[in-house]
Formats: sequence, C-alpha cells, structure tokens
Amino acid sequence: MLSKIIGSGLTRRTFLKSTAATALSAGLPGAALAAGETIKIGFLAPLTGPVAAWGKPGLDGCQIWAERVNAAGGIKLESGSHMVEFIGYDNEYDPAKARTGATKLIREDGVSFIMMLGGDTWPGVQPVADKTGMLFSTLLPSDLSPDTTTLIAPAEVHPIYNVTGVEWLAENKPELKTAVMCAQDDALGLPSVATYLAAFEAAGITMNEEPLLFDPATTDFAPVVTRLLSSSPDIVCLDTCYSDYVHPICEQLFQQGYEGQIISCTADFYDQIIAKTSKEFMEGFVFQFPDFDDPALNSDQINFEDPNGFFAEYNKRHPGEWGAVSWEYASIMDLWKAAAEKAGSADPEAVIAAMKEGGTGEHAFGDARWWGTELFGIDNALVGDWPVVVIENGKATIKGFKNIPDWYDKHGDLLVKHMKAYDQMWDQRG
Amino acid sequence: MIELLAQTCLNAVYAASYISLVAVGLVLIFGVMGVINFAHGELFMAGAYAVVTLYADLHLPFLVAVAVGLVFVGCLGLLMERALFRPLRDNPLGGLVASIGFLMILQALAVLGYGVRMEHIPPATQEVIVFSDKVRLPLARLYVIIASVVLLAALWYFLKRTRFGWALRASAQDPEAAELQGISINQTARIAMFIGAGLAGIAGALTAPLVSVNPHMGHSVIVTAFIVIIVGGVGSLEGAVVASVVYAVVHTFVTTFYDGVIADIVGLSLMLVVLILKPTGLFGSADRA
Repeated sequence: MLSKIIGSGLTRRTFLKSTAATALSAGLPGAALAAGETIKIGFLAPLTGPVAAWGKPGLDGCQIWAERVNAAGGIKLESGSHMVEFIGYDNEYDPAKARTGATKLIREDGVSFIMMLGGDTWPGVQPVADKTGMLFSTLLPSDLSPDTTTLIAPAEVHPIYNVTGVEWLAENKPELKTAVMCAQDDALGLPSVATYLAAFEAAGITMNEEPLLFDPATTDFAPVVTRLLSSSPDIVCLDTCYSDYVHPICEQLFQQGYEGQIISCTADFYDQIIAKTSKEFMEGFVFQFPDFDDPALNSDQINFEDPNGFFAEYNKRHPGEWGAVSWEYASIMDLWKAAAEKAGSADPEAVIAAMKEGGTGEHAFGDARWWGTELFGIDNALVGDWPVVVIENGKATIKGFKNIPDWYDKHGDLLVKHMKAYDQMWDQRG
Repeated sequence: MIELLAQTCLNAVYAASYISLVAVGLVLIFGVMGVINFAHGELFMAGAYAVVTLYADLHLPFLVAVAVGLVFVGCLGLLMERALFRPLRDNPLGGLVASIGFLMILQALAVLGYGVRMEHIPPATQEVIVFSDKVRLPLARLYVIIASVVLLAALWYFLKRTRFGWALRASAQDPEAAELQGISINQTARIAMFIGAGLAGIAGALTAPLVSVNPHMGHSVIVTAFIVIIVGGVGSLEGAVVASVVYAVVHTFVTTFYDGVIADIVGLSLMLVVLILKPTGLFGSADRA
C-alpha cells in the first residue's frame, strides 16, 4: 500500500508532512498560560543509544537549571510567575521517533518550547514545526535553512566554532605545519571536516592527505590511526568524532607512538583518556568545550549564571558525567527565559521575536549576534565568542576566547568553498 | 612503506583474532542447534560488562575478570538453551525471534545496570612491543591474539579428539541419527551453547579495554560475524576461521590504504561475490545452506 502511494509521486518528505499534519489537525493546545500554571519545556534528544552522551547530560543540566529558576520565583510573564518543568522524550537519534516525540510533547504535554540535539532527527520533526509554529532549538545549525523559521541555534554554531581552535594553534604553535584528519561519515562529521579544512587552509597548515572517513559502526581504530600516522603529521585532527571514537583513537595514537599535537572538537571525559594514555601524552590537547569550574568563566563577559556553582552541583549529582552538552541546553533556557520575560508570554512567536530583537543576544560566552544567512540561508544562529580549551597538567584550561564572525569576515570564502565541496551548504543538503 | 605494511598486518591479525572468536561461536551454535543466534553480539557485550564490573569496578585482576566473563557468558548461553531454544527446537524461526527478544533484554539490562554512557576501563597493560618506530604491538592486543589461537586450537582438539566433540559433530551432521546412537541432544546443545556463548564472552572481555563499552556495542560485532559466516559457509567452523582472516585482512588493508567507508563496501561486496559464485560459502555444504 505504502509503495503504491509513494509510487504515485508522493515523496518521503511530503508523506512525513501529511502524516504530521493529520496527527496535529485534531487541534493544538493553546499557548496562553493560566496564572500559576507550570511552563513545560520539551527535551527531545537521544537519551539512550550511541548518541546519548549529547542528550542525557543536557537534560541533567536542565533539571539543575529548573531548580535554580524555580527557587528564585520562576519565570515572570504577564500572567504572573510560573514554575518551569522539563518533559523529556528519548528520540534515540531516530527521525521517526523524534517526529512522534515532537507531536506528543506538543499535543499531550502542551510544551511551550522544544530543545533538540538536531542533526539526523530534525528532518523528522520539521513537518511538525511547520504545521504548529512551535519554537524549536538545535545544537547543530547545519539544520537551519530558509524554511526553518521557528528553529534557532542559540547555544553553539557547530562546527563553525572549530575554526577558533585551529586559529589559536596557528598563533601559538607556528612550528606546526602539516595535519591529517579522520571523521565518521555522517551529518555531524562532514560539515566539521569542511570547517577544519577551511581553518587549516586559513592558518597556512597543509593537509598531508584527504580526510580519512570511517563508518560510524567502526570499533577497531588501529587501521585508521596507522593510516593517519603514515605521513608523519605535525597535527592529528579528530574532527567532531563522538566520544566513543575519540577515546579509542587517542589510545591508539598513544600506543602507536604518536607524540605530536592533537586537536578535536570535543574531549568528553578527558580524564578517562588520560587514564588510558598518560598525562604527558594529553598535554596540549586542543578542544572547544571547557569545564565550568574554569576561572576564565567568571569574567564579566560571560552571561551564563554562576558557571562554577553549576559545575559543582552537576558533578555532585552526576559525578564523572560532565560533557560538552551538560551546560548547553541550560544556556538555551537562559535565552528563552529572558526572551519570554521580555515578551511577557511563552507564545513561540512572541518569544522568538523578543529573542531576536535588535539582532543580538546574550550567548553563554558573551554578547553575540544572530547570524547565518550566507551559510544557512537564515539568521537563526547566535554567534559570538567561543573558548579555546587546552589540557594542561591533566586539566582542561581555557586559553582564550576567539570571535567566530571575525574569522568568518576574513576567511568566509574558504569555509563556503569547503562546505560546497562536501555538499554541506543549506541549499545542497537533501 | 614496509613499516606501514607491517603495522597493517599486525592490525589485521588482531582483527582476525577477535572476529574469529565471535564467528566460530556463532557457527557452533547454528551448526549444532540450527538456530541463528541474533543475541550473539549482546553476549559479546555481556563479556565486556563482566570486565567492567570485576576489573574496573571491583579491581580484580584482569585475567580473573576475563575468565569469570567467559564462564558467566557461557552460563547465559546455557540459560538461552534451556529457556529459549529447547522449547523452540522444532521451530528455527521461533528460535531466531526469541534470540532477538533476548538481545533486547540484555541491552535493556545493561542500560538499567550501567546507564547509556561509555564505560571507562583502565588499560590491562600499557606495555607495547616495539618492532620499529612505526611498527608496534600493544601487549593488550597480543593477549587477544594469543587467547584466540589457544582457544580455537583447544576447540579443534575438543571437537576432533574427544568423545563429547564427536557427539557434538554427530549432532550437527544428523541430529536424529545421533540420538539413535544414544547421544543426548539436550547435552550436546548445552555444550554447544556454553562454548559458543563463552567464546563471544571472552572476545568481549578481552577487547573491553580496547573498545568503547556501551550497551549497543554488540551491533557492529554481529553484523561482521554474519558477513564472516556467510563467506566461510554457514555451519563451517573452518570456514568461519578462514573467512575471519580474509575479512580482517581485506577490511584492515582497505581502511588503511583507502578509507573505512570503502572498506565496509568492499567487505559486503566480498560477501556478495561469494554468494554469487558459491552460495554455500567457501567451506559450506549444500545441506546446511
């Protein structure tokens, strides 16, 4: 039956849209909140499965955020003060489950805003967003396109911020001239490959060979590392590999005798990598996600409230589980709360208008601007400074903040060139 | 270039070792019981979690944890035989479906017990045998290679030279005739499940410090094992070993000299070519195919 429908010219996207439309046509929950009613926020991300490390720690962080906000009196709208509650839905990084989850969160739970990891799951959710006008957020701005008017990327501009690590490396270790790179062949890995290629080219660092792609199901990384090291590079770049890959790759680099520079988007649970290798091996490892006990986060430019206290509380509740996304969803909620209070309403349209008013916003790492038309076809990514983090004496340390738009103003053409080469521009993605 | 080739060969030998342990266990279970055990990857995962518990959490010696892992997963195999496969002995499809259900149960138990995060396992040893600047063999990988050779040799001896081994082979060739000769089908099934599951368990236990241990780690292992047993010939232990070596060499060399995505394509193409040219596999016989 389904094949007959599809055979008659119905595309998968149209099928998804019509399914979502049917499911939602029974009527949407009203966005207006009664006085004292709890504001519900949807958390639609992988809570189990291989990508759970970029979902579950975020929900844990949000619970801490909600307790802090509720203890301070909640979110103050025109209808009065409202407590806030997160409703989690495990999409297992599956587009169909994400679509079901979005529908459930909107229709049954009456959420006012939905946060997602994005990536492979966004195409399943987009028809629901189109139909309902619900405000969604993603951690991956590569989900953005001119059609995604109610999707924002306010926490991170993955993978564009990776340019800051390379730029810092070129400034501080100019003797490093050659690099190699490996990445999983998926929606996270490829745009990051293009970004690192642009950053290396801008920094005058030569790639010894084409980036080495591997299947996301890979478990034995010895052949990958053997290949990477065969050209004796100065820098090994681990792209945006999941932590399940970063750990065994680092271990292999250590065991195969590599002693050079490593740069990576993330280094989640880096203490475990040190335990498997050595403190000396990991010294100087460059990545992009700080521990929030870093003194540099206490400076005036930082908009995330009490990062040190948040980090301490998180580690008390979830020891050893702090990762790249532990703070990100909470920082999105800071933005959402500020916008909702400014608008006096939790209505998605009012919130997004308030959030983007003036074209600037308070990003966790400093004031930033809504940006992205050239790369994403829409200015729905909040971009500003991003930290460069280096492991020193076994501890992640912020070495400085670098401005992403500044880099783009100088080298944007390179980024566009490499994004196009990997079919990662918004008008190239299927 | 010679160093690159030598290091790639060492990588291939390691890959062949753990793949053959898993694949031989899967073939043994199918050969004796006629059941395709979809939960075999999760038995591999259970072996890895045994090491997480005993070695990483309770700080028992690594080799003790591995030995307990083998026995523990072997006992899981006995449980599967008694609770799932014996009642469904005349229904191979039912056994397959039951094994899928068991797979989900094991995954759910791992999630409940350990969470979804990747487990941290301290290295069993950080010592590395250095042949040259760019040719190195970590001792932890050598353990896997040695264990594989010893266990597969022991299995060969057991099957070819012992009474129980003859009974097992007889049951695999013709269960009814074996039963008429007084061989207990239940007993041979128990032995096959214990050994088959135990091999997956020890493969998972030995490689646990070398891979990312998580509740879903069995998936890629079972896919590789299926490719290997199809290439080697379903039901053929020799075929499983030879195909493991062939697959590991091809996959490792293609990954090193091209990339990992192409290596997967080549691995699957290898299976397709064998299926087209010799549908029973390299060592398979028509009655088992």
